[in-house]
Amino acid sequence: MKQVPDKDILLFRSCLVSVEYPGVEASTKYVFDKLGVDYAISEKQTCCTGLGHYSDVFDQVDTSAIGARNFRIAKDIGRPNLVMMCATCYAINKKSVKLLNRKDELREHINQLFDENGLGHLKYEKDDLKPTENIFHVVDILYAKKDEIRKHIKYDLSEYTIATHHGCHYCKVHYEDTIGGVRDPNVMDELIGECGCRTIGWYDHKRATCGTGFRQRYSNPELSFTATADKMNAIADEDVDILVHLCPNCHIQFDRYQHLIGEREGRKFRAIHLNIAQFIALAMGGDLDNVIGAKAHTVPIDSVIKDLKEVKNEG
Amino acid sequence: MTNQQKITDSPIDFAEQIIEDVKNSKEDGVLKCVQCGMCTSTCPAARHSDYNPREIIERVLDGDISIIEDDNIWNCFYCYTCHSVCPVGNSVCEVNQILKQFAVSNEIGYDKLYEYLGFADSYFTAAIGAIPEIFFTDIDRDVPGWWEFRQHLDEIRSELELDPPLMPPEDVIDEVSTILTITGFKDKIDKIRATQEEEK
Amino acid sequence: MRDDLKVGVFLCECGGNISDIVDLDRVRDELDVEFIGQFENLCSLNGRKIIRDAIFDHDLDRVVVAACSPISHEKTFQDYVKPLNPYLMDMANIREQCSWVHDDKGKATSKAITLINASIEKVKQSDAVDPIYCQTPDEVAVIGGGIAGMNAALSLAKQGNKVTLIEQSPSIGGHMAKIGKVFSPVKIAEECGMCLLNPILNELVWNDNIEVMTNTKVIEAERRAGTYNLIMEKSPRYVDAEKCIACGKCAEACEVEVPNDWNDNLSMRKAIYRPFGQSYPEAYVIDMDNCSRCSECVKVCTMKAIRLRGRPERIPLQVGSIVVATGHKLFDMEKRPEYGYTRYDDVITQSELGRITGVNGPTKGKLLKSNGEVPKRVVMIQCVGSRDEKPDGHRYCSKICCTVALKNANIIKHKYPDTDVLICYTDVRTPGMFEKYYKHTQENEVRFLRGRPGEVVKKGDNFIVRTEDTLKGEFVEIEADMVVLSTAMEPSEGTREIAGILNVGVTEDGFIKESHPKIKPVATDVQGIFVCGTAHEPKDITDSIMQATAAASKVGEYNYGGVEIEPFIAEIDTERCTVCGECIERCKYKSMSIQNDEIYIDPMSCTGCGKCLVGCKQRAITVNGNIDEKIMATINGALSKKQAGERMILVFLDNIGYTAADNIGVNRLKYPESIHIIKVISVNRVRPRHIKYALDNGADGVFIGEFPGDLMYDEVERKIKRAKNRLEELGENPERITFSKVYIPYFSGLARKFQEFDAKIAELDGK
Repeated sequence: MKQVPDKDILLFRSCLVSVEYPGVEASTKYVFDKLGVDYAISEKQTCCTGLGHYSDVFDQVDTSAIGARNFRIAKDIGRPNLVMMCATCYAINKKSVKLLNRKDELREHINQLFDENGLGHLKYEKDDLKPTENIFHVVDILYAKKDEIRKHIKYDLSEYTIATHHGCHYCKVHYEDTIGGVRDPNVMDELIGECGCRTIGWYDHKRATCGTGFRQRYSNPELSFTATADKMNAIADEDVDILVHLCPNCHIQFDRYQHLIGEREGRKFRAIHLNIAQFIALAMGGDLDNVIGAKAHTVPIDSVIKDLKEVKNEG
Repeated sequence: MTNQQKITDSPIDFAEQIIEDVKNSKEDGVLKCVQCGMCTSTCPAARHSDYNPREIIERVLDGDISIIEDDNIWNCFYCYTCHSVCPVGNSVCEVNQILKQFAVSNEIGYDKLYEYLGFADSYFTAAIGAIPEIFFTDIDRDVPGWWEFRQHLDEIRSELELDPPLMPPEDVIDEVSTILTITGFKDKIDKIRATQEEEK
Repeated sequence: MRDDLKVGVFLCECGGNISDIVDLDRVRDELDVEFIGQFENLCSLNGRKIIRDAIFDHDLDRVVVAACSPISHEKTFQDYVKPLNPYLMDMANIREQCSWVHDDKGKATSKAITLINASIEKVKQSDAVDPIYCQTPDEVAVIGGGIAGMNAALSLAKQGNKVTLIEQSPSIGGHMAKIGKVFSPVKIAEECGMCLLNPILNELVWNDNIEVMTNTKVIEAERRAGTYNLIMEKSPRYVDAEKCIACGKCAEACEVEVPNDWNDNLSMRKAIYRPFGQSYPEAYVIDMDNCSRCSECVKVCTMKAIRLRGRPERIPLQVGSIVVATGHKLFDMEKRPEYGYTRYDDVITQSELGRITGVNGPTKGKLLKSNGEVPKRVVMIQCVGSRDEKPDGHRYCSKICCTVALKNANIIKHKYPDTDVLICYTDVRTPGMFEKYYKHTQENEVRFLRGRPGEVVKKGDNFIVRTEDTLKGEFVEIEADMVVLSTAMEPSEGTREIAGILNVGVTEDGFIKESHPKIKPVATDVQGIFVCGTAHEPKDITDSIMQATAAASKVGEYNYGGVEIEPFIAEIDTERCTVCGECIERCKYKSMSIQNDEIYIDPMSCTGCGKCLVGCKQRAITVNGNIDEKIMATINGALSKKQAGERMILVFLDNIGYTAADNIGVNRLKYPESIHIIKVISVNRVRPRHIKYALDNGADGVFIGEFPGDLMYDEVERKIKRAKNRLEELGENPERITFSKVYIPYFSGLARKFQEFDAKIAELDGK
């Protein structure tokens, strides 16, 4: 397995986490603190451009130039390990590092633009960062620390029926670096296992997209929601209580639109949607309002999780 | 109808152009396509629309440049499933992105981008990629309680003790605006907006 | 004077392999020798005439052939330089170590000139010597008792060789015993595989020249010129095969049931069992991992053949040659979880379908699903794990899966005409006569869909196969109640292990590599070791048997012709020698002994490493062939062509390292042009003064590689450490010398080390 750091981490802020599910950020910090992960957030870091990039508004030069600036900031504050809460940030940044290292023309073009416009301090030198050694998703960090998760578990969530939805942009874009499988992704199933719970494992469309499809959700909702319905039906067939996510984009698609898709399908969908950090934070005893950020959720968390049962002390 | 291929025709030029694009991470992958259809077999857009990733590569290899005008290419979800399973190491998902950029540089598909210019605007005002306001009405209609929630975002954030604030400092916004100006991004966006608004 | 010797250089274009990269016109211009010739294919018979004519016309004393690797063609050109002594010719390797590893034409040409010049200087130091002939022992080890190993053993035995057939499992027979039916494309009919295998098995068992060792593995091997000393480990069978009459009472009494691996775990067997009806030896065996040691079997055995105690036994075996026939295994379906193999009982492999349709299988030949019903529609998915470059997949085509699918589809159609059989394929690969069988299958109403399925899921009682029908251009969901996966063939664990133990080269896919894919398809890169069957690459039974008999014939050639040993070995001056025995102590290869009151040196085992020289107080030992002088001359020849600003790294490798370096070229990997490889008889012969001289005279770095299995490895490592210390004492940077392990199979690692060392030297020079 790849080497995963637990220090010198820049926790990379995500536009969607910030304005849609801020509890994901609070939960990630909560869990990182419990596990002794050394991280910081920088107010200088800006968005990865992912939403605009995958709406075809941004081209690669624009995205990689913004990336180069963020990479410089990470290096300057001595935190060269970028850890993403959003699968798209992860994919976008990893690709930019790959291209900036590998494609000399792109790197030199961007550096020249920086130089000519008084931004010389942002220049990216080849191999400043390494795609596999410096660019991570939160699940990577959690996975590397998974043996310690169990020690901090306070609540027993094992009676719920749990399934996972692994974001495409974590699993499939840079599949050579993905932990826990691509064709049958399991990294979150393993993490949930460390919380003393078992997931349902495979279900139909497990590795399929959430259906957001970037522009599809807004410009092509018919297509978008039909794809989501495939998955929502499969999850409902398994009678799932909690669907666990690792990407705010998927999270929006399922949590915000579950009601609408239920109406379209003529079926009542009842699963709640938690990010993996929220799930672990909840199991570790994180408060629904102060850590999990339950108020941001459209499908109420307490519609499924009514009371929390403490783990029996085995010792 | 007979499709005549003259001795001077070089259909592969189109594929070469894609291979040379900076975004292509698969080297010669597109040339190795054997049309096995595994991309289409796993594609959510192929399942629910006329989008066919295998056929995209077929047309690219045929040198059929008219594909950049085909509305179907805008149906890709960018889910990268094809990219993650392609047995010969091709990536239709990347090829699709490259084709769209070809389209845009040929002034095709401006109408498709127009609604998304909000993603660009927010970078110049807040260095953040916010959901374009143009979609807020739809979201409010489709997602009960969302608008209400957004009104209380600051309170929720402060309850979670999240800092720093959402809005980055002024100098950061300036720096990001400069970057997006010098890459030619701003001009492109302005051109798309002007062209579209003129048409309306 | 050696400097006055007339040297002729012959440049080979190698049909463009060399001349497309190396500018041979420039090479001719920049060399100063008596004669330079050039030819399109120097190794052809025309080459012989060209070389011989030039030797006569120009009165040449020495010859340099600048062409491929000496490992490919040294013998050819030693023959072509007749009437010159074969050792008055030297080869400059400008193909594997130049044109195939470099892209920059200018730099590759400069390097070719350097390599040729090094050879010119070296060959001037050569003397005429005669090779030594040795006969290898006739005994042969055949490793692996499948259809390939069995045929190789039988053919060898019939030619009069003593053969030991070594099989890891409790019975010989291999995959073919399991396969059920086989077919030949000409007959257009399927026939019983076991009925074809059995006569071979019987013939083998009754042949006095063959000893069959089951439950046995080779765990160590040591090579001494023409002889291999193998150590076998025989695991206990717990049943005396001599006494056992295979009555089966023991199995009846046994209460432990475990999945039957011979039936691909589709049925159960006991902990004491006979692998299959015709297994050999004709005796039961205990699977001790699962035995409860209840002793019920011991009680019922009237022959008193069972003993529950036993330990693995180590048995030495000395042979002259080895045939590797260790076979393949099937792709691990957990690597392609989307097809549901591990989730659903009725998603099976072609191998399992073979068991199910085999009359000696779990359903006695009936095609039944796990619920006991006959399937209504069987969908076969081709290329699972083959032609797939994604992680854990294989880029190659497994070659037999198309015809296996056709065969099994026909078998189903013959017995169950109402069952719909659909084969999802990318290409149907049925070359030659197999195409007729494909047509027959189509006539048999087997259906074909061109498309590579994405996934198999269960919906209700049935499966859904999601795929594109690429000929229609439409996405389809096909209902099926049985799915059969045509899984890739990959090298077996045994194949991977034996490659390491014997140190034979493997391909990037882990199969045993032949010494030349076209013209030496059964030899490996180690003399005296041959390969056949699926250990070599995916192939069918017919091809396995052909290659097995070819391997047997090659062993015959080898045994008959003996081994030619290079004469560069130690020699004793009996006048000076006092028979003190110091050299016997020092020799790591145990090649020195006292015979008739004199020191005797065994030419088969002496490597010419020169270790004995240092200990001989009487200076009574010499190693033939001016080796020190030749190394020095080669260094000089290389460095004298160094250009200003050029980085020059000299790499010293013996035969093993050199083969690994050739493999880099064969696989078209790249390394920097600064790397210049000098082949030496033993790395131990590279003395500190050679290294010092090289660094003082223009070499920027010295790289020494040694195979860790070489008996001199530790010695060389210490020596290099001392040389580095000395360099440091002299105020120079010891990092200019590096010592590295080399392995034939791990050529990509060697290429990377070259790259890294070059980068380090560049860094030292501030570049």
